[in-house]
Amino acid sequence: MKCPRCLGSDTYVCKEGKEDGRLVWTMYYCNACEFNWRDSEPEETLNPDLRPSAFQLDPTRFEDFEVVLPPRKRRP
Amino acid sequence: MNKKTDKPARPASSIRSLRDFLELLESQGQCITWPHAVMPEPDIRNIAVAAGRDLMGGPAVVFDKILGYPGKRVVVGVHGSFANIAAVMGLPKGTGIKALFYELAARWGDQPAELPRVKPEKAPVHEVRIEKDIDLFDLLPLYRINAYDGGFYIGKADVVSRDPKDPDNFGKQNVGVYRIQPHGPDAFTLLSAPLHDIARHIETAEYEGLPLKIAVMLGNHPAVTMFAATPLGYEESEYAYASRMMGSPIELTESGNGLDILAHGEICLEAEYIHGDRRIEGPFGEFPGTYSGVRRLPAFRITAISHRKDPIFENIYVGRGWTELDTLMGLNTCVPIYAALKQDFPEVEAVNALYHHGLTAIISVKNRFAGFAKSMALRALGTPHGLMYMKNVIMVDADVDPFDLNQVIWALSVRTRANDIYVLDNMAGILLDPSAVVPGKGHHLIIDATSPMPPDPIGIDAEMVNPPSGPEIDELFNLIRNLQEANR
Repeated sequence: MKCPRCLGSDTYVCKEGKEDGRLVWTMYYCNACEFNWRDSEPEETLNPDLRPSAFQLDPTRFEDFEVVLPPRKRRP
Repeated sequence: MNKKTDKPARPASSIRSLRDFLELLESQGQCITWPHAVMPEPDIRNIAVAAGRDLMGGPAVVFDKILGYPGKRVVVGVHGSFANIAAVMGLPKGTGIKALFYELAARWGDQPAELPRVKPEKAPVHEVRIEKDIDLFDLLPLYRINAYDGGFYIGKADVVSRDPKDPDNFGKQNVGVYRIQPHGPDAFTLLSAPLHDIARHIETAEYEGLPLKIAVMLGNHPAVTMFAATPLGYEESEYAYASRMMGSPIELTESGNGLDILAHGEICLEAEYIHGDRRIEGPFGEFPGTYSGVRRLPAFRITAISHRKDPIFENIYVGRGWTELDTLMGLNTCVPIYAALKQDFPEVEAVNALYHHGLTAIISVKNRFAGFAKSMALRALGTPHGLMYMKNVIMVDADVDPFDLNQVIWALSVRTRANDIYVLDNMAGILLDPSAVVPGKGHHLIIDATSPMPPDPIGIDAEMVNPPSGPEIDELFNLIRNLQEANR
């Protein structure tokens, strides 16, 4: 399954939602950009063509994101 | 009486848990169970937003028919209205915001507190214990809070952590509300600003090379969540404040990894900080009404989970206000600023910092002499919360009710002079302010809308028009209302 946010393929199924044995949705996780989604969500969330570009991630630019609480060096 | 069960209504002081509180809310018509099956998205967020629209009287909403999560329950809006906040405090439904403010101020402090211990083997939170094959996605009925959030957020967790260098110090043990994004079955990230107590714990653990164990409590005593969202001093205990406010015990037990947790909580995730790990997190629709953007945040690994049988997953809607987060934090943002000012200056009458974590605050003072109100503003900016959050401070006289925005705008209109506006630039600010040029840096704006005072010679001859008021006018008001009704 392709990730709706970074369009990568390194994804896995993390949960299947069932009712009386019938599959009602599948939840996925993207190892590359850490996005998490369910295939029953509205199109605005799932469809890369409808998602505003501000919410898409370029996997080659992960290093650009600000680090909150940068790791401290250990006491000498 | 509780209409459904015919049992006497539970007094607020007997609340020990989220379940007890939901029962109390239900007896007051302040908690409903959604009658239909829902999809996790977009139904839960839609219903949460609609329930939260009535900030004075909106109910908590329980979902017990979530498609794909048979048998699981979610509750939102537990602190979603001032009627529900009044219920936590044992005050009647309909108690006004200002009255709640003064009542909370009267109960402020950490003494006396009753924090009895329950042995872990007797604590309901440990009824079910999971130590292997941990799977957050299986345990929690997670859902996306806003359409473009980067994940299925846990928005209302009370996170317990200890100072790694002083682990036996109860006061330095912190309970705080931090947003949490699950990253797989047994990992999550947590957002903390550098100011927050858990950030100190993370930095200390890293510098000293010590482990940092935390407990993430979900579905908690409503007073504890209120104080977890309150800016208290570093050495003050949120549990003690909650007990003082309730005037009743808060029962604690020990988590499997050695932290003091609520004995009657619904769920507790025990986790350990992963040294040096920062993972992609966000965006998340946040309280300023904007998405927070993507950052790299500290990560934790879950080592064990305890929960009650059939646990209730308590969550929150956050976004452009008014939302449950504003009601959860509003009064307890006002009161610590008020309490700090009041210690030295009894002239401070009230603090309204309800708006967006106090990004704008209105403070009323009995102005003593020219410049007095400005100094009160500066002192408010030096409180733990004021330091980063109080962007805009409006000072008004004691004859202006800071909780009545009509009166505040009146004061701004007739008592402000352009040279009574001060901008302190390049100050500490919050990461989430969308107007910040550099996140984490910002300004403080002080607008002194108090009347000129001697020795200032300008405007002091302005004599007030005092419209007739009192019981006679109240009676006339009611008479006019009745005449109006009679004519309909």
